[in-house]
Amino acid sequence: MIDIIVCVKQVLDPELPLSLFKINPEAKQVIPPRGRAPVLNPFDENALEAALKIKDTQEAKITVISMGSGLDEVILRETLAVGADDLIFLQDDAFKDVDSYSTAYVLATAIKKIGKYDLILCGRQAADTDAGQVGSAIAEILGIPSITLAGKIEVSNGKLKIQRVTEDGYEVIEVPMPALITAGYEIGNIREASFQATMEADTKEITTWSAQELGIDLSLLKRSNMLQLSIPAHEVTCQLIKGESPEEAGKNLAIKLRDDQKI
Amino acid sequence: MSAVTTTYFGIPGYVIFWVIFALAIGLFLNRMSQLVRYMLLGRREESYGQIVRRALKTAVAVLGQWCQLKNLTFKDRASIGHAFMAWGFFIFIVFYFIFIIIGAGFGVSETLEHTSFFFYYAWVMDIAAVFVILGAAWGIIRRYVVRPSRLKGEQTVEAMVILVTVLIHPVTHLFKEATSIALGHPPAGLGAVLPPISSALSNLFAGSAESTIEAASIGFFWAHWLVVLFVLVFIVYSRYLHVVASIFNILFQSPPPKGTLRPVDLKNAKSLGAGRITDLTWKQILDLYSCVVCGQCQELCPATASGKPLNPKELIQDLKKHLLEVGPQLLKAKKEEESAGNSSGELVGKVITEDEIWACTTCRACDNVCPVLVEHVDKIVDLRRNLIMGSKTETARDPLRNIRVRGHPWMGTTLAREDWTQGLNVKIMAENSNVDILYWVGCTEALEDRSIKIAQAIGKLLNQAQINFGILGEEESCCGDPARRLGNEHQFQLQAQKNIKILQNYNVKKIVTACPHCYNTIKNEYPQFGGEFEVIHHTQFIAQLLKEGKLKVSGGNGGLITYHDACYLGRYNDIYQPPRQILNNLPDTRIIEMEQNRARSFCCGGGGGRMWLEENIGKRISELRIEQAIKTKAQTVATACPYCLQMFEDAAKVKGVEESLKVRDIAELVGSMSLLT
Repeated sequence: MIDIIVCVKQVLDPELPLSLFKINPEAKQVIPPRGRAPVLNPFDENALEAALKIKDTQEAKITVISMGSGLDEVILRETLAVGADDLIFLQDDAFKDVDSYSTAYVLATAIKKIGKYDLILCGRQAADTDAGQVGSAIAEILGIPSITLAGKIEVSNGKLKIQRVTEDGYEVIEVPMPALITAGYEIGNIREASFQATMEADTKEITTWSAQELGIDLSLLKRSNMLQLSIPAHEVTCQLIKGESPEEAGKNLAIKLRDDQKI
Repeated sequence: MSAVTTTYFGIPGYVIFWVIFALAIGLFLNRMSQLVRYMLLGRREESYGQIVRRALKTAVAVLGQWCQLKNLTFKDRASIGHAFMAWGFFIFIVFYFIFIIIGAGFGVSETLEHTSFFFYYAWVMDIAAVFVILGAAWGIIRRYVVRPSRLKGEQTVEAMVILVTVLIHPVTHLFKEATSIALGHPPAGLGAVLPPISSALSNLFAGSAESTIEAASIGFFWAHWLVVLFVLVFIVYSRYLHVVASIFNILFQSPPPKGTLRPVDLKNAKSLGAGRITDLTWKQILDLYSCVVCGQCQELCPATASGKPLNPKELIQDLKKHLLEVGPQLLKAKKEEESAGNSSGELVGKVITEDEIWACTTCRACDNVCPVLVEHVDKIVDLRRNLIMGSKTETARDPLRNIRVRGHPWMGTTLAREDWTQGLNVKIMAENSNVDILYWVGCTEALEDRSIKIAQAIGKLLNQAQINFGILGEEESCCGDPARRLGNEHQFQLQAQKNIKILQNYNVKKIVTACPHCYNTIKNEYPQFGGEFEVIHHTQFIAQLLKEGKLKVSGGNGGLITYHDACYLGRYNDIYQPPRQILNNLPDTRIIEMEQNRARSFCCGGGGGRMWLEENIGKRISELRIEQAIKTKAQTVATACPYCLQMFEDAAKVKGVEESLKVRDIAELVGSMSLLT
């Protein structure tokens, strides 16, 4: 029996069409789009799938934890439907907009409270902030090994064998348990839940812990100070350079570029 | 001396007759009871109402042979042969009933033979016999000599046995009558004017000794009845069971609207969809009994035509074969009060392959053409339901997931639902719901790069005609058609409930949509969940606007156009005329039909959720259809469905004809003309 904890985050749908993405520059806030629910961070889905793949081959207990304020129960229950055993919300207004290290501190506190863990899985980064710091920070706080960018995880003889994806291939790393691993999309997409499992997940109890229940020292929760929030403006002007022949068009292009002092 | 009064080895003829008769009836009833018990292993069906209407429909289909004649084409005239054979047989059956039940049973045979009833009987039977002989002979020639493609590989012993016995049967009848005339003592009721065929045949016996004719008469009597009783038994043990089953299948035909899928009671369902044969309903099992392997479905199936592993005929036959194989053990298990389903085994993998199930575009060409109203699509969807809702397959995972998470199947779209409205006067219901008509845009027309041009064309036309309309915009969610046809009934029901609630909140009464899939779902399937709306397809609406003069086309040039009938518009909803009416109203436009049109139209390949699945087996269905369009030499293929539009644009590019053969939605065509206000 191996105890796995998977940390997941809900994010604004990364596939949101541009025209629906609106911000309030004064308040430096993203305005949530009408009628669009958040989604599970896709990399966290990979992390959960990695846990489920381990559970496919051996006895395992998967506990999913999610931290924030205003957690979406419908979205997060899906983790139970696909095969997680427990779902714990770390929910408190104090957790709103805290920085990566503070998030790791809260998650690590909850992991300590859970107590039993052999493997902690996180997504390689969140699709909204793309910071990619929380996973390693949890490992740092817990004082356990951390392997990032896993493409494949195997458990054998109480050890973890990980294929870590690099730019031009992968390296194989072996670590003792407990350890923290961050997963990439190479793990594979999350599976679909059966109807039966979805129905069962709907009635399962969710545990919720507040900052107080976790014994969080609120003074340690930091927020990064945002200076400016803006949507990058994409301005494209297109000029067609003509010519009688391709050669002439090329020549005209070169002249134009020189005149515009681009070359 | 007659055949029944003669004694054979000391046993009176009538005793022998009744023993054989009883034996045949016994075998017949035994098989029938077995088949009915198999049927009752299936699930319950919603109750069947409107019995009088059904009975009338059945009479027209069976007695009138409309079931066959509806499919009469110049290329395939088999239905005439079948109709003649059937009409002849019905007459025989009526008289058998009169003579055996009333005549023999109540002992009035002698009396009947002395009345003028016998005169009509003899004449009618004479003609009926010819009908059957002609029909059967035609059948034999078609099947064994002409061998049309739909009967390929069907030159079986089984077919030969039935055709030959059906041919012999009326011949023996005619000779039975002929010998009786030749003997010079025809029944008194016959009168002086003898029936033409049997009296002509009686001349063959002129000059024969009376004892010879008598022996022949006895011989023909026995031959005739043995054939009749053999056929009675043979049909229920062979595919010719359709003679009995199809009458009931037509009587218990699925209630309209056409092609509407059975909703699954998700809260109480023991198993979802069809995983095992016992998950079919009794009516679905009756479908299996009714198929006589005529192959008309396979002739029209786009999956079969494009070389995919699905063949609707084979699908039904495979299921039937499986049922007959596992039937005995299922009945035994039921008796022992085990759960009947557990001993029959999974269908997918053993009886049907996954590739077969996913090849279906749900175009309903098979269901629509089947003379005995066998339904194929409902079974395929039930098989899909079991795979999808039981999480037993990876197929269709992404589009279904996208519908669940984002409310539309177009993963990765960069468009939002209101983007296309730029520059047009379109109300968003959340901002202003004071509208006469709700334009249901649909996911494809709102979110797919090419298809938004349809929405823009419609917006322009509605503005032009000064229609006060609105859209749900971001509140609109997938109608659920792809989810339902791909087998995710759960997701479909969630979509339906969500959309019905929003539509009812805005008190929407009238909906216009340009997507035949949304049209069919909202109009025909939302009522299953309490959503009743008046739904109009944009081709109907534009045709009406043109007719009322609210839209006026003043100039432009349509050229030579071929119109493609979308499955969910035509076969599902019988909308064939309005799109053609619109095209006929366009200036300088001529319509040319493709070889397959209207109810026999050939699918684009995008229905049944296939729009989002890979098509990597066989040819592309869309390319087969675009080849038919190319043959017409038309300059434009007009469509009325966003799936068809996309499929054909892609196919035209592959075929390299995108310059010479434009693909346009009808709304775009009207929009491209000069319009008068």
